[in-house]
Amino acid sequence: MDAVKRALDRISVEQIKLELLGTAYNSSSTFLGKLDPRTLLVWYLFFAIVPWFVYNRTILLGMFILMVITTVLSRVSPYILFILCFGLISQIGWLFLLSLFFGGGIESLLPMLTLTLKLSVISLASITVFSSLDPERLSDGLSSLGVPDMFAFSLSYGYRILPTLLEEFHQILLSFRLRGQRPLKHGWLYCRTAVYYLRIVVLVFYPLMLNTAKRSRTTIEALETRGFSYALNNPKVKKLKLSYLLMKWSDWLFLSGSCLYITLLFWLGYLHPNLLY
Amino acid sequence: MSTLKMRYTLTQSQKMMIFVLSMSLYGLSNMFTELIPSIQLGPVELSVEYFAFIPLTLCMLFHPLYAAVGAAVGEIIFGELMLGQFGGLGELEKFITFSLAMYTAGRMVSDPKNRRQVGVAAMIGVAIHQFLSSVVDIVKVWVGVEELEAVKGLAESIVVIEGVGFLNDVLFSGILFALLPTLYLVPRLYGKIEPLLGMKPRERNMKYASGTWLSPKLVIGGILLAAVALGAELVSESGWSIGEFELPWAESNEESMIWLSMLVAAVVAAVVIISLLRRAKRKGQQAGQLDA
Amino acid sequence: MREPVLELKGVTFTYPGADQPVLHNVSMRLVEGDFTAVIGSNGSGKSTLCKCFNGLIPHYYSGDFSGEAVICGLSSEGRSVAELSRHIGYVYQDFENQLVRPTVMDDVCFTPLNYGFADYKERGERALALTGLSELRNEFIWQLSGGQKHLLALAGALAMEPEILVIDEPVAQLDPQHARHIYEILRRLNVEYGKTIVVIEHHAEFIADYCRNVILMDNGSIRWQKPVREAMSSVDELLALGIYPPDVTQAAWMLQPGLRLGRLYPLNVGEGKACFIHRDKEVVPSVLFTNEVHLVEKEKEIVVQMKDVRLSYRTIHRTMNPVLNGIGLTLRRGESVALIGNNGAGKSSLMKLIAGMVRPTEGTVNVKGIKVNGLPPERLSGIVAYIFQNPEEMFIEDSVRKEIAYYLKARRLTDTEERVEQMLHAFRLSELAEQDARLLSGGQQRRVSLAIGAAIRPAVMLLDEPTANLDISTKQEMVKVLETLRGQVETVVIATHDMQLVAEWASRIIVMHQGRIIADGSKDEIFADGQLLQRAGLAQTPLMELSQMLGLPHICSSLEEFTQNVALQKEGPVHSGCCQTGA
Repeated sequence: MDAVKRALDRISVEQIKLELLGTAYNSSSTFLGKLDPRTLLVWYLFFAIVPWFVYNRTILLGMFILMVITTVLSRVSPYILFILCFGLISQIGWLFLLSLFFGGGIESLLPMLTLTLKLSVISLASITVFSSLDPERLSDGLSSLGVPDMFAFSLSYGYRILPTLLEEFHQILLSFRLRGQRPLKHGWLYCRTAVYYLRIVVLVFYPLMLNTAKRSRTTIEALETRGFSYALNNPKVKKLKLSYLLMKWSDWLFLSGSCLYITLLFWLGYLHPNLLY
Repeated sequence: MSTLKMRYTLTQSQKMMIFVLSMSLYGLSNMFTELIPSIQLGPVELSVEYFAFIPLTLCMLFHPLYAAVGAAVGEIIFGELMLGQFGGLGELEKFITFSLAMYTAGRMVSDPKNRRQVGVAAMIGVAIHQFLSSVVDIVKVWVGVEELEAVKGLAESIVVIEGVGFLNDVLFSGILFALLPTLYLVPRLYGKIEPLLGMKPRERNMKYASGTWLSPKLVIGGILLAAVALGAELVSESGWSIGEFELPWAESNEESMIWLSMLVAAVVAAVVIISLLRRAKRKGQQAGQLDA
Repeated sequence: MREPVLELKGVTFTYPGADQPVLHNVSMRLVEGDFTAVIGSNGSGKSTLCKCFNGLIPHYYSGDFSGEAVICGLSSEGRSVAELSRHIGYVYQDFENQLVRPTVMDDVCFTPLNYGFADYKERGERALALTGLSELRNEFIWQLSGGQKHLLALAGALAMEPEILVIDEPVAQLDPQHARHIYEILRRLNVEYGKTIVVIEHHAEFIADYCRNVILMDNGSIRWQKPVREAMSSVDELLALGIYPPDVTQAAWMLQPGLRLGRLYPLNVGEGKACFIHRDKEVVPSVLFTNEVHLVEKEKEIVVQMKDVRLSYRTIHRTMNPVLNGIGLTLRRGESVALIGNNGAGKSSLMKLIAGMVRPTEGTVNVKGIKVNGLPPERLSGIVAYIFQNPEEMFIEDSVRKEIAYYLKARRLTDTEERVEQMLHAFRLSELAEQDARLLSGGQQRRVSLAIGAAIRPAVMLLDEPTANLDISTKQEMVKVLETLRGQVETVVIATHDMQLVAEWASRIIVMHQGRIIADGSKDEIFADGQLLQRAGLAQTPLMELSQMLGLPHICSSLEEFTQNVALQKEGPVHSGCCQTGA
């Protein structure tokens, strides 16, 4: 349970600010990052849905290879990849072990490997795309595809307000700690200490709720004076805002390249459905 | 003026305040719960699943729809997108099940000062959410594996894993991070947080007639919609696109089909869960009385 | 006669659910190019008045509204807030909450984009140039300082190129240099661009220097609307309402109260110089005594000791940003230490080090013989109390009594009840004990935060800007409250910009600049060195400046002291040209 303490130490304002916001807006230097957000989203939609209904292992493997290439291209942080792999392996691993217990055999491993392959393709697709889109471009892309403007606004507002919220959370947490009393003994497996911290973290939300309520009131009032509701009812504004989105030749190249690859893949898949196993 | 006092009505901006409040707070908490490590006991994960008390509290104090949707959006933005863990379409299922569950819990409370009512609603809210997400997980494997029945033991094991996970989340996260904090917060915040947003507190004893709860029309509509919530992944099968999904921010769209039916689904899902957890309910007849 | 741009006719407004109207039959008009200050005590309806201008009242706040508001020829009736806001820019007192986008450029373009202006980017650029923020266009909002955020809020309003700008308490949260900077910008907007400007303001010094007209609000109605010199010269009327005119004006009034009707007082130091003369009779300055006390204290027990302390933060570019560079400092029992310096000089960081809230990169910090480097805050809490700048961040309970008792209860001390009562009494909070601290006024909140700190009975109490955001009368009260602390706490350290507070309260002054201590001494030593203050980015108070200009034997910090040392010049040149410069 020492991990809890370390985790709480990690909730240092500066740390999170730097880690999250620094990287969030830093993605447009990669090849995928330079593509139009709509291209990426459409591309993603395909790879998020189709694999579910493909049971041909050759096709899935081909898709997986493509995903690995795009993942490398988008320079995803190794940490995220590690988390992904770990999650997939442990999930499937436990499933397999339990199925052995229920009378399954080694042969149940194969369908599960297929499932893993599917899940990997889908997860890698989402990681590639969403780590290549900075929040602004993502929200613009989504709103051009018809997601409500309120979501797009919330997304960028989230990035605006997060540091403020963290700061305030941190201060209130400090207030609790400066006036509180940590358990003198850590207890069994640091249980007491963990309970103490978790209790504070929950309690912090009481003042935080009240303070945030005050804040939201001004924010919404200010939004009114800044013409936000006017824009929501005005399609012209949306058009103006999204006018910078442009399908460049690289977008078409990327899309047609992917199409060609998939077509070839399906053709190959039907010829040799059991290339892998 | 007098008509204003009669009903619990909100202006457009007040709804947005609730939305923003719920989004930022739950989003922030989600970030922490993502960072707090979990203990793995075999296939079962002992973890702080989420701080459900935040949306639960807000749903009980304010208009449940906006608080619930706000929290779900907050989770996607802070807990997924910002941490680089956004799962794309998979998040949609979370979004629907979570807001549905929170909304139902919020609707169940008519008197925020009544601790028993608040407690029961909090637990049911968590239970609905966990149940729905377990079902979705099972459906995922079912869709993902070509012939589920052909693989011996797989079906059983997935049900066991999900079942244990469900119980763990309801009992561990549910009691520690939904029930207790909600019981602590709701009565304290009631009547205090509303003026800060410039609105009147929800009327105490604002009642939903029990007839409304169980009318057959609602049940049928609810089942239909429960299907929507359960199978977000399946829905994608039919060429479902984000473009068709419009959140009804405009007042006029409030009765638009999807939300109306979601409301119904919430009620029905609640009823289903209640019957499933009859044992929990038998402890007292409170719930029955409270819902009346 | 210039065109009226804004007119209220018999406006009465009641908030929903309230019994009393907040505005009562208010009529006023502003002409194009006006620079008007709205003054009045807390709760007199200043903000409410300004919210009538852009239609927030009655469209956003649905209450009982009667009368008419006409903005740029448009009646507010039947027009939405959004429509009226094209003509009026509004900067809130808590301006941080009106910034809604992650980066500077996004935020400044937000309003024109919402209104569908195709040239929204150019508008944003222009507004940034006007406020001097062009360099920062790609920064994140959270990287900006408080002053820059305020400028950005202003730029966001300017991007719409509105005819009228309303700014609610523009300088409340800024240090004196930044405050002056923002007023300089407002003046330019007013003079060069012909904008009509309305400010809600407590600081009479700024009103006297920059505004042309003053509206005095009292209990929901407008008492009068006068040119600034006349307004500020109504000293007794203003003081009765708890509004403090500039020190120079007050000094002249104290020397010759009840001037014949129509005679006016000086408004600023420049004018004061011509009005006052040094009275020959020497008055023994009281400051000397405190100096001796200061000497005696040198022998006392050491409470805080810092040795060669350095502190750096990591920046977004993954480089280290040094905040403190080699601090050596000893604080002793009984000292009242003022830590002064401009924003970013390292004052707060220094205090956080003492409180154990941050760990020094190098060096050691000792408090009461305990090495605090990186100790958990719970360990130190009985020894050091840290009072945040924003009292709301200290409120964790739902009543004043529980706030004060929290520390004592957490430690299960036996005399909890007693001590809480004692604190409530000492800080005059007995009446408010059962209320929620968040709902109290600014001054009351500060008192609660001090009581929370004092209940701990710490050896050292650290206060971050205890007078920020307070109006002048509350500020005066704070000085008295700080005196209360002397009996409870061994050593008090205050980080502040408020020279008035320093002058009236401190026994020892430490001047910080760029992470170093550049001076450390008594009041007279520090204040006599004008260059030093300038180097540290601080401004002298008008009285100090005047004392120097008039060649008084020592620097006067209080009005009483000053008026004992000076006299008004015979036939004060108030009539003559020199006093009209401000107009």
